[in-house]
Amino acid sequence: MTVRTADQSQTDMRPPVSIKGTKGGLLFLLDEKAPHKDIVEHLQRLLCGDLASLFNGPEVAVYVDYGARDCSREEIREILHLFLEKDNFRVREFGQDTTARKMMFHNHREPGRPHSIYRGTVRAGQQLLFDGDVVVIGDVNPGGEIAATGDIYVLGRLRGLAHAGCQGDEQAIIAAAEFAPMQLRIANWVSRAPETDGRPLRTTMEFAYLREDGMAVDKLMYVQSVRPEWAFHPAE
Amino acid sequence: MGTAMVITSGKGGVGKTTSTANIGTALALLGKRVCLIDADIGLRNLDVVMGLENRIIYDIVDVATGQCRLEQALIRDKRFDGLALLPASQTKDKSALDAERVRTIVAELKQAFDFVVIDCPAGIEHGFQVATAGADEAIVVTTPETAAVRDADRVIGLLEKSGLRSPKLVINRIRPKMVRAGDMLDIDEIVQVLSIDLLGVVPDDETVIAHNIKGEPTVLRNDAKASQAYRNIARRILGDAVPLMVLEEEPGVFARMRRLFGGRR
Ligand SMILES: Nc1ncnc2c1ncn2[C@@H]1O[C@H](COP(=O)(O)OP(=O)(O)OP(=O)(O)O)[C@@H](O)[C@H]1O
Ligand SMILES: [Mg+2]
Repeated sequence: MTVRTADQSQTDMRPPVSIKGTKGGLLFLLDEKAPHKDIVEHLQRLLCGDLASLFNGPEVAVYVDYGARDCSREEIREILHLFLEKDNFRVREFGQDTTARKMMFHNHREPGRPHSIYRGTVRAGQQLLFDGDVVVIGDVNPGGEIAATGDIYVLGRLRGLAHAGCQGDEQAIIAAAEFAPMQLRIANWVSRAPETDGRPLRTTMEFAYLREDGMAVDKLMYVQSVRPEWAFHPAE
Repeated sequence: MGTAMVITSGKGGVGKTTSTANIGTALALLGKRVCLIDADIGLRNLDVVMGLENRIIYDIVDVATGQCRLEQALIRDKRFDGLALLPASQTKDKSALDAERVRTIVAELKQAFDFVVIDCPAGIEHGFQVATAGADEAIVVTTPETAAVRDADRVIGLLEKSGLRSPKLVINRIRPKMVRAGDMLDIDEIVQVLSIDLLGVVPDDETVIAHNIKGEPTVLRNDAKASQAYRNIARRILGDAVPLMVLEEEPGVFARMRRLFGGRR
């Protein structure tokens, strides 16, 4: 959900404030180049004016990121004040380069990066490398290898080796309809297939991703925990 | 104009030579003109399995290097008029045979025979490249073991790359008891991994070894279990929809294999 409240007089212009709904709450991104006056006016209309009812309701965590704009202390205080006045807002972060903003954007890595679709079986001895994300419509057999600089999605059985983020992207994930990999690699991390009761893992609709403590595997339905933007921008 | 089929596997000892001899002979039994080519230079054993060893004068390397004409090197089978063998050489330099020369020989044989069946050496190196060069179709042989299936997968990838688009699968040396006990991969699993059409399943049958030694292809015998399997394979090559044979009287296995074969036609 991106609430765009474009100034009616400048319909084609981006509004000076854009709001992103994330799993953790609302992220307000203030345009770095917009004049302070415009931002304040816009926020006033948004939070206290005719649109205010949009934001009434239960308590919500709020993150405000004003980016690399030049502003004085007073200006910052003025903006913060507008947020603090809203009863149901709990301001969690206020500043430049907030973690909320980072979360939002590092998952939108290179918006225009390439995707590929590979149709066919990746057989033993074959090594395929893709720039960007790749969707395999087929199986990756034992002894077969697929690598991508971005994510890897296998619409089939993943039984060979998959290396996502092979140029160091630790945000990359590996997902498969049937998940029984021989080995998984994300960026510089290597993991043998997790074993359950001494037998190799073989599950359906799972994905692997990196956490602080290493590689983890989870049900694909929870993929939003590492790709929060997917929950709210399915069409983007 | 005939069809050239290469019989290959990647892993050694899984039954390429046995399959070449039996599929070739079975096609001859069905009235086809068949020429077998032993492309396993240096090891030469198709002639032994066919019982034609003592008639060799010239071989494929002699033909390739112009030492003799193609007809001079062909050995006619003593049992069937329509069956012939182009033997490998045992001693000559393997590199004398290159893909281009083999392609020419195969093309020439296709003028005179309905089927040219090529016995490929194990591995994926030069010999494999040469043996597959003139082929229109490929049959991949595997046994129900992980390593053999892995190599078959590798070979299928290489065949597809070289333009042999849809190879067919023969699973050799199946032992239903071991499959049931989980000590062997089952047919379903193998076909699933390799994802190519299944042409047939040949049971593990001791008499095959005895027949190979005697120089008498198993398919000539009516009493061997493997014999029926090879005849069925030959009929499927000719386009008959023969259901997979029952290896043992177990309804579950039968039902499953029928579904497998039927579903892929
Ligand atoms: N269905 C079968 N039942 C029992 N024994 C078999 C069967 N098929 C093949 N064999 C035996 O397995 C051995 C290997 O067979 P064969 O020589 O045909 O394999 P190959 O793939 O041609 O080997 P290579 O890679 O060395 O050329 C032989 O001793 C043969 O008799
Ligand atoms: Mg052989």
